[in-house]
Amino acid sequence: MIVSIKDSVKLFGISIMTCCAVTVCNMFLNYYLDLTAIAGLIDNPYAQMFYDAQIMTSKVVCAVSGGCLAITTVVMLFFYIKHYIDSHSKEIGILKALGYSNFKIAKGFSVFGLSVFLGCFVGYLLSFALMPQFYELQNKDGYLPELSIGFHWILFFLLVIAPTLVFALIAVCNSLLKLRQPCVNLLKGIVKIKGKTKNTKDKKTFVAEMRSSVLRSRKTLVFFIAFSSFCFSAMIQMSASMKDLSSEMMGLMMLIIGVVLAFTTLYIAVTTVIRSNQKNIAMMRVFGYDSADCKRSVLDGYRPAAYIGFIIGSVYQYALLRIMVDIVFSGVEGIPEYAFDFLMFFITLAVFIVVYEGVMFAYGQSMKKYR
Amino acid sequence: MIEINDLTKYYGKAESRFKALDGVSVRINDGEFIVILGASGSGKSTFLNVISGLETPDGGCVAYDSQELGNMSEKDLTKFRRENTAYIFQQYYLLPHLNVEKNVRMGADLDNNKDYLKYIEAVGLSDKRRKFPSELSGGEQQRVAIARALAKNPKVLFLDEPTGALDEETGRQVLDYIIRLHEEQGFTMIMVTHNGNIAETADRIIKMNSGKIVSVTENTDKKTA
Repeated sequence: MIVSIKDSVKLFGISIMTCCAVTVCNMFLNYYLDLTAIAGLIDNPYAQMFYDAQIMTSKVVCAVSGGCLAITTVVMLFFYIKHYIDSHSKEIGILKALGYSNFKIAKGFSVFGLSVFLGCFVGYLLSFALMPQFYELQNKDGYLPELSIGFHWILFFLLVIAPTLVFALIAVCNSLLKLRQPCVNLLKGIVKIKGKTKNTKDKKTFVAEMRSSVLRSRKTLVFFIAFSSFCFSAMIQMSASMKDLSSEMMGLMMLIIGVVLAFTTLYIAVTTVIRSNQKNIAMMRVFGYDSADCKRSVLDGYRPAAYIGFIIGSVYQYALLRIMVDIVFSGVEGIPEYAFDFLMFFITLAVFIVVYEGVMFAYGQSMKKYR
Repeated sequence: MIEINDLTKYYGKAESRFKALDGVSVRINDGEFIVILGASGSGKSTFLNVISGLETPDGGCVAYDSQELGNMSEKDLTKFRRENTAYIFQQYYLLPHLNVEKNVRMGADLDNNKDYLKYIEAVGLSDKRRKFPSELSGGEQQRVAIARALAKNPKVLFLDEPTGALDEETGRQVLDYIIRLHEEQGFTMIMVTHNGNIAETADRIIKMNSGKIVSVTENTDKKTA
């Protein structure tokens, strides 16, 4: 069939995303289930308050990180399917012309569920590797009775099996929708222009017009670029606060997850935008546009989304920690005062500017090879 | 003037290595219309790519008014293409998300040419300047590619089988546009084709086979558009 297991491996972005989501969610959910098992052993108000805060933390972290990453994974899956159909339109067109039904072709996309399985399974194992230290840190002051790590089949089903099946189903349904186009359009690789009305001002230069058209043609990438800088900003700043609010281990974990997610998403977004504009870049180079012009046309349009994502990430991490400190842990002893860390914000912003602009410059230089 | 001396170009490695160009030498005068004829695999497209600076030769040299392409850095080569050449391909390669006018501006902006609408008019597409490539026929798309190439006021225009993807009638119309604009503007034009009829309109015909020039003929009975 047209979609092979090898294609599924290419969806490593989805695997990384689901791996991060399952690592975090399984750690907190496993802890949550083990906590509920000792509810009857809590014998003093301080311990009860701490217990309630831990329960709430687990729920909030799972809902926020799991939900956020699950939505991003779905968007990424949709994006991959659209990109796959666009870049294999001729092969799909031939299959349709030969009489293959949309459903028969779409069934092949269920293979994409494998990349979800891979990510979830690795994340599940990783969470168990981290759990002993995590449990110890969560109860380092000894408010709660001794807590042992339990194994819960339901979590394996909910975090590994169910996402695999759900994502395989989503992949089939989404590809069914995307395949509903005339066979001849697929065969000829005709690009559907959605912005027909956007015959913008004639005064706009070619490079400016090209920049807008690249943005319009791949709107999902705007989300990914913004998400990438959101992860970078939120997780790095949050990890710095973790030293005081939780532990260095939590901070390090957040830092690693944030950096991995940010770079993976940025890599996927930028390589996709360059690959899908390869012919256009080559034509620009043939006509005598230099790599700086090509970069301005293809990559620079995403800059505002990147910086907006960074700002949203900063606000998000502040709001989330504010809620945790003021609402979830209110009344718990030993929780330090929390305020927005401007120094950390400016350091993260400086690092972000250097990294983002550096990566874009490097990709711009890589456009020299097209001609 | 373009001076081409002893060009060689290889493709492939080890046992599959073959010579696509084998010691090709020719001189092309300013304003000339050259047609390069040859069967498929004769090396004519490779020749066009090498003399236009899109590919680098393995041996020999190409010089434009004593400026040798082989001595140019990547930056200089880009500047050279920007200021001197334009290309028309068999597959048009229009930018699908930009309308006719914006596609033509791709060429015009390089020469700071504000008067680009006249090229759209010259190829008879004034009424379709707001259309996107997918809304045009093959012949119309190729006319957009012509307007785009000419809007940068090139000194040399390279054409690789410009009518290869078109039916005979449309191909003839497109060719008429190109020849008429060549006669009006006087740029050098080098066209690769396997269609012998096109050669009737050229100043000189270069025939290639197995990577070599087998003949260079002056066309004394040149037809005009």
